[in-house]
Amino acid sequence: MEQTVTPSRTVAARPGAALPTAAALLVGVGGLLLVCLILPVPGEGAAPEARAWLAGILALLAVGALGVRGAAQGMSRAAQVAPALLTGLLAVLTAEGLLRAYAVPAGLIPTPTRVLAALWNARTVLLQDTYTTFVLEALLGFLAGTVLGLALALLVVRFRFLERGLLPYAALFSSIPIVALAPVIVKAIGLDWPSKTVVVAVTVLFPVMVGAVRGLQSASPLHLDLMHTYAAAPTRTFLDVRVPTALPFVFGALKVASSLALISAIVAEFFGTNGHGLGFRIQIEVGRFGLDVVWAAIVLASMAGIAFFSLVSAAETRLLPRR
Amino acid sequence: MTHASASPGLPTSPPQNGPPIVSIRDLQKVFPVPGGQTVALQDANLSIQRGEFISLIGPSGCGKTTLLRLMADLEQPTAGELLIAGRTADQARRERQYGYVFQAPALMEWRTVLKNVLLPLDVMNVPGDRLGRAREMLKLVGLEKFERNYPWQLSGGMQQRVSIARALAFDPPLLFMDEPFGALDEITREHLNLELLRLWRETGKTVIFVTHSIPEAVFLSTRVVVMTARPGRIEGIVEIDLPHPRSDDTREDPRFFTHATEIRELLKKGHA
Amino acid sequence: MLEPGPAVTATRPPWLAWLAGLGPMLIVALIAAALYWSLMLAANLGPAARTLASGAELDCRTALACASQLRNPVVPAPAQLAQGFARLSTPVTSPLALPYNVGVTAGETVLGLVLATVTGLGLALLLVASRSFERATLPWLVASQTVPVVAIAPMLAVLLGQYGVQGFLPKAIIAAYIAFFPIAIGMSRGLRSADPLHLDLMRTYHASGAQTFGLLRFPVSLPYLFTALKVSVTAALVGSIVAEISTISFSGLGKMLAENSRASDTVALWVIMGYGALLGVTLVALVNALERWVTPWSRR
Ligand SMILES: Nc1ncnc2c1ncn2[C@@H]1O[C@H](COP(=O)(O)OP(=O)(O)O)[C@@H](O)[C@H]1O
Ligand SMILES: [Mg+2]
Repeated sequence: MEQTVTPSRTVAARPGAALPTAAALLVGVGGLLLVCLILPVPGEGAAPEARAWLAGILALLAVGALGVRGAAQGMSRAAQVAPALLTGLLAVLTAEGLLRAYAVPAGLIPTPTRVLAALWNARTVLLQDTYTTFVLEALLGFLAGTVLGLALALLVVRFRFLERGLLPYAALFSSIPIVALAPVIVKAIGLDWPSKTVVVAVTVLFPVMVGAVRGLQSASPLHLDLMHTYAAAPTRTFLDVRVPTALPFVFGALKVASSLALISAIVAEFFGTNGHGLGFRIQIEVGRFGLDVVWAAIVLASMAGIAFFSLVSAAETRLLPRR
Repeated sequence: MTHASASPGLPTSPPQNGPPIVSIRDLQKVFPVPGGQTVALQDANLSIQRGEFISLIGPSGCGKTTLLRLMADLEQPTAGELLIAGRTADQARRERQYGYVFQAPALMEWRTVLKNVLLPLDVMNVPGDRLGRAREMLKLVGLEKFERNYPWQLSGGMQQRVSIARALAFDPPLLFMDEPFGALDEITREHLNLELLRLWRETGKTVIFVTHSIPEAVFLSTRVVVMTARPGRIEGIVEIDLPHPRSDDTREDPRFFTHATEIRELLKKGHA
Repeated sequence: MLEPGPAVTATRPPWLAWLAGLGPMLIVALIAAALYWSLMLAANLGPAARTLASGAELDCRTALACASQLRNPVVPAPAQLAQGFARLSTPVTSPLALPYNVGVTAGETVLGLVLATVTGLGLALLLVASRSFERATLPWLVASQTVPVVAIAPMLAVLLGQYGVQGFLPKAIIAAYIAFFPIAIGMSRGLRSADPLHLDLMRTYHASGAQTFGLLRFPVSLPYLFTALKVSVTAALVGSIVAEISTISFSGLGKMLAENSRASDTVALWVIMGYGALLGVTLVALVNALERWVTPWSRR
């Protein structure tokens, strides 16, 4: 714990460590790859002797982990990025190897290669589902909820009456679980995608509103006084002081809302669709034990989530002056 | 841990003979910075006797904090020799020879005032009545009524007094204080100066005090160490020939102005 | 200098001020009720007209009058909600009534939250202790924050069922699975946010690593833990309800939702939503109360 006082102590990267690190990584990754190639796909060929393979795979994983540890030393760009990528690779290879070694049926846990295959084979359906869930439901609902939330926030900040009358409800509403809200809205609006869009909009609205109000109200009193001495028009004060201070708060809320949007869309689909959407696909395929398609849908949902978050972050870097 | 120096007699300068409690020879500290290095302290030589009140004065960036942190083993010197009570700085720290008061009160906001003062006693597992000891320290700084309050409920000056009580709680023979009253208003500062001198007289501790106020340095110290910047070094040492105990009258003493001028000249010389 | 005790003398008793503060909320509630009533009529008018035209037996004449009495309304009328509430809430202790099922879901959620906190804490410790571990896993943890984890819940439910984990536990595990990420991230940030001055102070005391952790790093991280817990508690609730829907469940809010969603009992769905909201609000309030109890120093 005392190390923190002298950070210089940890910086030293041993130059001689590059060779063992590379060797460990080569053995770990290469070995696991080899294991995956040798072992038969579950359900085909004779069941391998799981115990021995388990020991081998774990040993290779340990060697690989040592390599990752070696790669994580130092402050270079590579040392900061490579470990995560290598860990992902090792995890996928280990999963593949273990699933093959234990001949786990695909109806229980599919191997990563099977998931990849499912992703390719069912691509038209899955892309259609992603479009429905991500673009029509999550993105549209997010935009609608954000616009509405910001408008309400402006009203709340403008009229003290609404602040005391409306804001407490917003906090209340944001602790309603989406799963309880979704069936009601889906039943009222119908099975087509707009019902899910509305669910998303409703879940996004309240955090955005609360965040924006907090932001608009956190303008420094000194700055407001300064604008007052300039006899600035209220709109100028609003644009020059309130909006800039509010933006970081708004983006904080938007980031939370972006992952909330996708979750709401998927959960809402559990309560009825017209046959499209990732949530629908996951539920249907789980029922049929088509777990490779389920995983493929999860992979797509994750990619959509990351894309969504990156989109909001990119907008943030464009609009916020970096300190 | 109370040592023999707590004599009732008034300290003169130098207060005592015998081995120095701080001894510094050719001390140097260089910080590596992106694209070069900063010489924070160079060729520092200083010897401090037990019971002295030493002020370090100089412009911002002249290495006052660095010198204090070196003595406290919070930084390692790049060259030179540093002995605290005849031991290395690391050993002195392990033997809990000193209390450190930072420029900010640095109270722990999750502990009440009393618990903040108790902290070092708990960490060091000091035997005996810790609670009583902590209360006694709070009384010493005049805050016994606030022991149940949280730090944010106190003003800046009160918080700094708590942090002084915390540094005194385990009765270390040495007290390092880094601009402890820098952020306070003049009136509070003068009041705390008097209280600090009273504490120093009553406990007989050695105090090393960083400031950039000339009057404060003259008023408090037995000796003032004048430092200058780029690179940080010791420009000269001024013995303060003013009687103890000091009071508001001290500020009217002609010698007070002589010493202040002397220090100002040294500071100017280093600036040229 | 500040003296303890209230500095300002209140001009009117605090309870009166509090009551006066409720005025705007009440007015907004009334407006919302009026809006709801007209929305309800508008939404039900079409189906009501159709039912009338089909010649079904109803004890109402006009479409407008029937709009609040439909057997299966698009949006239920307040009276229907009240009836539904009474029907679904009694007998209070019955395993078929909502109070019991809310209790089951609450239990799963709290257990899940406890599991999530333990896992999140452990992970945070690892993240803080080893930079290699952090670099290898943190990007994945952060990425997983943006992944809709509920998507995994149905599959996880089936999987846990296959391996014989049954009853209460799989739902709690799924709730934990959804809830532990914010805790891990929040705590690892909290454990790192000790003030450098305080770290120096502990060093001057020659404090041990354990002391620095227990007296400094851990208390500093508590506010971070509670911020994360507030996010996690709603996530865990969603997790346990989704888990109930996805597994063969015999009790819980999720089971009631799935059942009534299949049976298209709109009134029941609205009542369940009300209970769900109540549970959500209660759990968040509990976390807030726990926070005030554990961190009495924070200045609210
Ligand atoms: N940790 C550090 N890293 C790099 N430079 C430092 C560090 N600490 C202090 N310095 C530099 O050393 C010099 C002396 O600093 P300091 O001792 O804080 O001055 P003072 O306390 O007298 O104002 C300054 O130039 C400062 O920038
Ligand atoms: Mg300084």
